[in-house]
Amino acid sequence: MRKRTDSKKRRGHVLKLGLLAAMLIIIVGVSLGCVGGLTPIGWSGGKVADGTLFVGSKEGRLVAIDLADESRLWAEPLSPDGGGGGFGCLPVAGGGCGGSNKVAIYGTPAVAGDLVYIAGYNGKIYAYNADNLATRWVYPREGNLEPFAGGAVTDGTSLYIAGNEGKLYALDAVTGDKLWEYETGDKIWSTPALSDGVLYIGSFDKKFYAINAADGTLKWTYQTEGTIVTTPLVADGLVYFGSFDRYLYAVNIADGSLKWRFMGQNWFWAMPLIHEGALYAGCLDKQVYVLNPASGAEIASFDLGGQVASSPVAVDKYVVFATRKGVVFSIDTVSHQLKQLADYEKDVDGPLTAYEGIVYVHTSELALERVNVLTGAILSPISLESQS
Amino acid sequence: MNAWELIIQQPLINVLIVVADALGNNFGLAIIALTIFVNICMLPLTLSQLRSTRAMQALQPKIAELQKKYGKDKQKLAQEQMRLYKESGVKPAGCAITLIIQMPVWIALYQAIMLSLAVAPEGLLNLSRYLYNWSQVFAILPLNREFLGMNLADQNFILAILVGVTMWIQQKMSTTTTPADPKQAQQSQLMLWMMPMMFTLLALSFPSGLALYWVVNSIVRIVMQYRVTGWGGLRRQPRTETAPADKGKKYVDFKAPMGEKRSTDDVGADIVIRDEKGLIKPDKKRYLPGRDRNMKKRKK
Repeated sequence: MRKRTDSKKRRGHVLKLGLLAAMLIIIVGVSLGCVGGLTPIGWSGGKVADGTLFVGSKEGRLVAIDLADESRLWAEPLSPDGGGGGFGCLPVAGGGCGGSNKVAIYGTPAVAGDLVYIAGYNGKIYAYNADNLATRWVYPREGNLEPFAGGAVTDGTSLYIAGNEGKLYALDAVTGDKLWEYETGDKIWSTPALSDGVLYIGSFDKKFYAINAADGTLKWTYQTEGTIVTTPLVADGLVYFGSFDRYLYAVNIADGSLKWRFMGQNWFWAMPLIHEGALYAGCLDKQVYVLNPASGAEIASFDLGGQVASSPVAVDKYVVFATRKGVVFSIDTVSHQLKQLADYEKDVDGPLTAYEGIVYVHTSELALERVNVLTGAILSPISLESQS
Repeated sequence: MNAWELIIQQPLINVLIVVADALGNNFGLAIIALTIFVNICMLPLTLSQLRSTRAMQALQPKIAELQKKYGKDKQKLAQEQMRLYKESGVKPAGCAITLIIQMPVWIALYQAIMLSLAVAPEGLLNLSRYLYNWSQVFAILPLNREFLGMNLADQNFILAILVGVTMWIQQKMSTTTTPADPKQAQQSQLMLWMMPMMFTLLALSFPSGLALYWVVNSIVRIVMQYRVTGWGGLRRQPRTETAPADKGKKYVDFKAPMGEKRSTDDVGADIVIRDEKGLIKPDKKRYLPGRDRNMKKRKK
């Protein structure tokens, strides 16, 4: 009888200690859970080619969606390298979190001919057959590089991509063999822009680079006072990019001299867009600035009420933006009227995609939201969740 | 931005970034400096908590006596305990209230560290929400995460071990008395090991910037604890405590464990003689059955 009471008491003590430990884990977990951005999730944009939309899902897979019948095809999931340990969430090469083995995809897929290219946060670049998403090649074949947080660009014969190692790589688009590499002073998160045989890219070393695509030689650099993560836009002899010093820069592509710069109240993270003779730049200060592309003079500004991190798209006479909170707006480029199209109440960090009047929004969930810009109709979302 | 982010998190993040900038873009030094600074700001609260804890621990023997006396009558026990606290000027809720006040500050500090580390790309993007419109805050980001050869965004085994060791030392110092109740003693012993081990595991799972914060915090607490209680539980405890009335007396200890049944010849082996200083060498004073202790005297 006494033995039973003793064992009951002992069990009670163990239970108390267990509860205490659980409370501690909950306190630490909840406190850290409130801290967003510990885990790499990804924000891939979409690329449409021949009526098929390619996008990197938050499951770490390339998804091909036939926009005519909405049938979908999934590639094999990207394989993580290493994994998150214990209770924590660390952006290890595999992008795992607490045992999760999903690889984050940040870059928008690149398409050329019958191949689709995507880079993962696991430090690998993949080429797939566009029609069946079978893997054609992987770079590097053995091991992993540092994570890729940007996308690739291709001219059909070469593929250009840069990653956390601070190197810009040129690969043979067909075989995946390395052609050359150019090393900058720090990490690179932006997608390079390719124009007339010159690659333009910004780095964490606060410099903006123009590199000859043929041989990887440096053409010029432009020094800013902040990290550069924006994917640059090249138009009419100028290259436009934002920097963490809060300026949007316009630099002459011929010699790398400054044409003008415009200051926002926060970072210009998203790639700007030129449409109907005006430059539209979304800023993390919640504004969209409309500027004269030649002089940088401000034409108008729109307060979207939320930070703008996703690159805009142009549909007919409208430029469409989404805030990080998931509110989608259109700006009429003629009348300069701002109109709310949808409020998805989900995080939107990746670039928008437009095709035949419909804007596709990759939200924080495993779905592509859709809105018809011309009619304002909100269409049912396309799930990106794989069947397997 | 909610009230928590606006009032606590945002200022801490911006101060952390400005401090890192002032210290030559060294985020490790910024974590150390801010942790020490916050500890200094909380000094009155921490000292009051430490003193309350010490007073509570000093009352433990009396509480144990009360528990023995009124163990069955819980209402009476509670009354007597309250009377004891009142007479001794101890506020039992004091420790808890101080801890509750401090808790949000510590949580905010480590949230600020994690946010400023901007481990994943989403982290850097999220960080932009918290920045004040100060030019140096924008341009310095992302912060330099290299510190003493470590990347503060990665896990670090040495720092994780240091988290456990410093936390154990701090806990050990704070336990100045051993509870009279063996179950309570066992529980406090378990806690002494469980917390440091858990935090070591957590430190192994999170960016080492957080582990650095825990280590610095524990070291500061050790210094404070030393100022209040000295080495506390780290001091070598005497094996047994004897009441002052027993001083100078020798007595027989029957607490030695009884093994299997032995012959009467062995009985003496379980009898240990000691004084207040501890054991008396068994070869000299121990009673050995079958031998005549007065043999030498008689021979003479």
